Amino acid sequence: MMDSGFDRRDFLKVMGWGGAAVALSGCGNTSIEDGKETVAPYVEAADYVIPGIGVYYNSSCAQCDAGCSINGRVREGRVLKLEGNPASAINRGRTCGLGQAGVQHHYNPDRVREPLLRNGDKGEAISWDQAYALIADKLSEVSGEEIAFVSGGVSGHLKVLMENYLSSFGCKNHFVYEALAPGVVRAANKKAYGVEMPRYNIDKAKVVLSFGADFLGSWVSPVHFSQQYAKFRKGVDGQRGTLIQVESKMTLTGANADRWVHLRPGTEGILAMGIINALGTAKGDIAAAVAGYDRAFVSKETGVPAGQIDKIAAMLKLRSPSLVLAGSAAEGYAHGSQNADAINLLNYVLGNVGKTIEAAATVPFPQMAPATGNTAALKSLNDGLAAGRYKVLFNYAANPVFTAPGAMSFKENMAKADFKVVFAHYIDETALQADLVLPLDSALEDWGTQVPEYMADGAQINIQQPLMEKLHANTRGMGDILLALLKQRQAEDYKNYEDYYAYLRAAMVQNKAALGGGSADDDAFWNETLTDGIIKLEGKVTALSAKPNVVGLKLPTPMENDEFPLQLIPSVNISLRDGRHSNQPWLQESPDPLTTIVWDSWVEIHPKKAAELHISEGDIVEITSKTGSIKTQAYLFPGIHPEAISIPIGQGHEALGRYAKGYGANPFHIMDAIFDEETGELAMHETRVKISKTGQRVIVVKDESSAGAKQIREKIAGRVSTDDVDLTKEV
Amino acid sequence: MSVNNLLENWSQFRHAHPVDDKPHDPYKWAMTIDLDTCSGCNACSVACYAENNIPVVGKEKYAHGQVMHWIRIEHYWDEDLGEEGGSEFPEQGAQFLPMMCQQCEAAPCETVCPVGATNHTADGLNSQVYNRCIGSRYCSANCPYKVRYFNWYDYPTTDDVWPAEMTQQLNPDVTVRGKGVMEKCTFCIQRLHAVKGTAKNEGRLVRDGEVQVACQEACPTDAISFGNLIDPESRVHKQWKAQQVELDKDKQLKDEKEGGTDLRGYRILENMRPYPSVMYLERVRESAI
Repeated sequence: MMDSGFDRRDFLKVMGWGGAAVALSGCGNTSIEDGKETVAPYVEAADYVIPGIGVYYNSSCAQCDAGCSINGRVREGRVLKLEGNPASAINRGRTCGLGQAGVQHHYNPDRVREPLLRNGDKGEAISWDQAYALIADKLSEVSGEEIAFVSGGVSGHLKVLMENYLSSFGCKNHFVYEALAPGVVRAANKKAYGVEMPRYNIDKAKVVLSFGADFLGSWVSPVHFSQQYAKFRKGVDGQRGTLIQVESKMTLTGANADRWVHLRPGTEGILAMGIINALGTAKGDIAAAVAGYDRAFVSKETGVPAGQIDKIAAMLKLRSPSLVLAGSAAEGYAHGSQNADAINLLNYVLGNVGKTIEAAATVPFPQMAPATGNTAALKSLNDGLAAGRYKVLFNYAANPVFTAPGAMSFKENMAKADFKVVFAHYIDETALQADLVLPLDSALEDWGTQVPEYMADGAQINIQQPLMEKLHANTRGMGDILLALLKQRQAEDYKNYEDYYAYLRAAMVQNKAALGGGSADDDAFWNETLTDGIIKLEGKVTALSAKPNVVGLKLPTPMENDEFPLQLIPSVNISLRDGRHSNQPWLQESPDPLTTIVWDSWVEIHPKKAAELHISEGDIVEITSKTGSIKTQAYLFPGIHPEAISIPIGQGHEALGRYAKGYGANPFHIMDAIFDEETGELAMHETRVKISKTGQRVIVVKDESSAGAKQIREKIAGRVSTDDVDLTKEV
Repeated sequence: MSVNNLLENWSQFRHAHPVDDKPHDPYKWAMTIDLDTCSGCNACSVACYAENNIPVVGKEKYAHGQVMHWIRIEHYWDEDLGEEGGSEFPEQGAQFLPMMCQQCEAAPCETVCPVGATNHTADGLNSQVYNRCIGSRYCSANCPYKVRYFNWYDYPTTDDVWPAEMTQQLNPDVTVRGKGVMEKCTFCIQRLHAVKGTAKNEGRLVRDGEVQVACQEACPTDAISFGNLIDPESRVHKQWKAQQVELDKDKQLKDEKEGGTDLRGYRILENMRPYPSVMYLERVRESAI
């Protein structure tokens, strides 16, 4: 796209010579002194480079899987800032903090710059030719069944190339592993609606009842849902939407609720059944299934007052349509599928299917559809590694050594594979175990296409294009690497594609009719596609099937455990998510919204429980499960069930980089291997723990004052009841 | 100027900046923040770091209170939470409030600066002149909102604040501040400046929506609106008018009505007479649940 890139310091050096000249350099960090760059006057500036003026290019955000479109500001060959692309139906010009930090991923000082081959404890830089030859050599010694490929969620043309590469040696072992994916909810949706991920119309609902779905923070497509939420609050016909959040640990969404209801961990399904019972509108099978869930029983098991259940039922009955969501808090148990089924059943009973839950459009190219997966895939990989079935392991866009539950002993099992290749941006915990590390381009240097899993309005394919020249000469795009590896095996089939860009362009141009390009000239179609950054498609919409699922619905009541009396709730921090971005300093310094803590982990304990255990803020406590123990600072937090404690995910890195290593503790390490009985996904909230003081104390580093989060005297953050305000008068 | 004149006409002198006698013309930048849609997600704050070359100070300096976030999300629980008679649980959620420089019309920070480094611009901004600032920090001490941030260190030369590659992300339109100067939210003055220039070249005024500040542009719930308060067509002007909040009042007429109004616009610490340029809309809570 641009053939010049230079940094500010070089610019000043050149200006110092007294001429209006620009330093053109192939790859960033060279300088005039070492003779690696030439001096050329600005009159020969590259296209679209206007000194002092920012130029904007569309691309796609790769910080999470939501598929937001971005608009990058480029000045003098450097990308400076990312904004949302207003044309995207998903984010409509908006971004989250994580997306904003995308530039810090690109400019990160701890990126891997050379292919590294293990030599004892060290990595030795080798050339790409050597790396490719080594892979070919290792693959020639093993059969297809002895190779495993683990990747994060992939879609678009990259997924096509990945599948083609694996099938070129008859390997069927592609494990898609996203540590925080809603695996159980997808399966429950498939049963209830016929699709894994329908469209949720929060903006059309008058009441949203969310069972631990943090849709404003980290759930599925938070920027999209945030926009829907804003409309929902403004309301339809002056009727402001009401949000009720039911969960054991307050999430960001819970903090925004009109009514936050805390319940005993794991009893979400029982409460959903209790609400169906209280509604009293169900008939037949459903009525029979909920018959046992009367107010007294439900209230006793969930800890939610009977009056509260009646109020929720009354409001759902009165204000229709509503929307009921099952989030990660509901699915994280051994009976997670049962919880999610019961919650979806509530949607069915309320008649929300087809109104606030609609079918999403799908892209008419099934081979490009996103590959999704959760911990069940990792478990099967881990079992294979433990049994010594896999000799060669590839890893891309996942960090299983960091995110696998401690009880899986993934690191030890990974060592059983003879040759481990990790495609990496940073030397993370998994790359540290590799035999060969191949450095990747950042998302702002690479080409690609994305098909988002959650589709907003119609279907769309997102285009990712480089926003600047590569910072480091020896990194490669994942597409380029796969193409080079494919050429080793099927040279004839791929000989026409010099690089991934050529492949991508050819693949898109060939299908331009189906991609809405009509009869446009190839170049015109391609240029327009890059300019827009999005291809919008009508897509295929299959109507949802609304099926009540009552057969086999069994909701166990919580058990007491004297040895490990507390439930561990690993929470998802809005900025750090599964921990892959913890080396971006803006995110480390962005306070957690509910505690305002920065640069560390903490354990949330209810003040009542803390008083019982004589724990106060800043005590270093040890949290012990059957699997292991970690230490971190205590924080007294009223938004948590007294029988639970919560530790955020994403910190506790032993590698990754200077802004991540050594900060906090990793709750994955003490997670037991308990799985959802139906889907085999990890039951993330099922680990039981005990807590003890170590005697050490620290001052908690946080943004709120020592007085805590209370307003004293003056009105700072105002609030008003719906009775006292008229929203129809507003602009 | 005699002392008598000064004392007799104090309100006039005190009102050096607002408005009724000498209105800002043609621009008066102002903001509205809707606390009912603000979700407290912090996107605005990160966007501000990206736009304004704000240094990341690290854990140790953060612990010393030296963080530089020009916009921060304040977080509050209900007053009676955990108290006698109140609930033990935050049953009505939390409250979030984005806090940044309120660009006061009679800014308490301005009057105490010994060198005039902070003063008012013609379009109603509270400006900070970095190379005039001597670092007395009086302004910060006098700011009721605590939104002024002091450079205790020379961040450009501090390890790991902007390592080599990261310097390339710095916005060339914004100064990188050195040790010993005060800084704060500027309402993205570099963006305002650019768009005012464009408008002037075309012989017109800046249109509503033509410029967005960085926090507003990122905000996933569109909780922040920004614009020219003088322009009757601007969203901000309409919002302030609908909420009956007047810039040059220290007590709004609507608040004197018995029983209150059904409006939710207010300004923070208005009665201290700083005449802030940011109006907040109260968070709403459903009474039926």
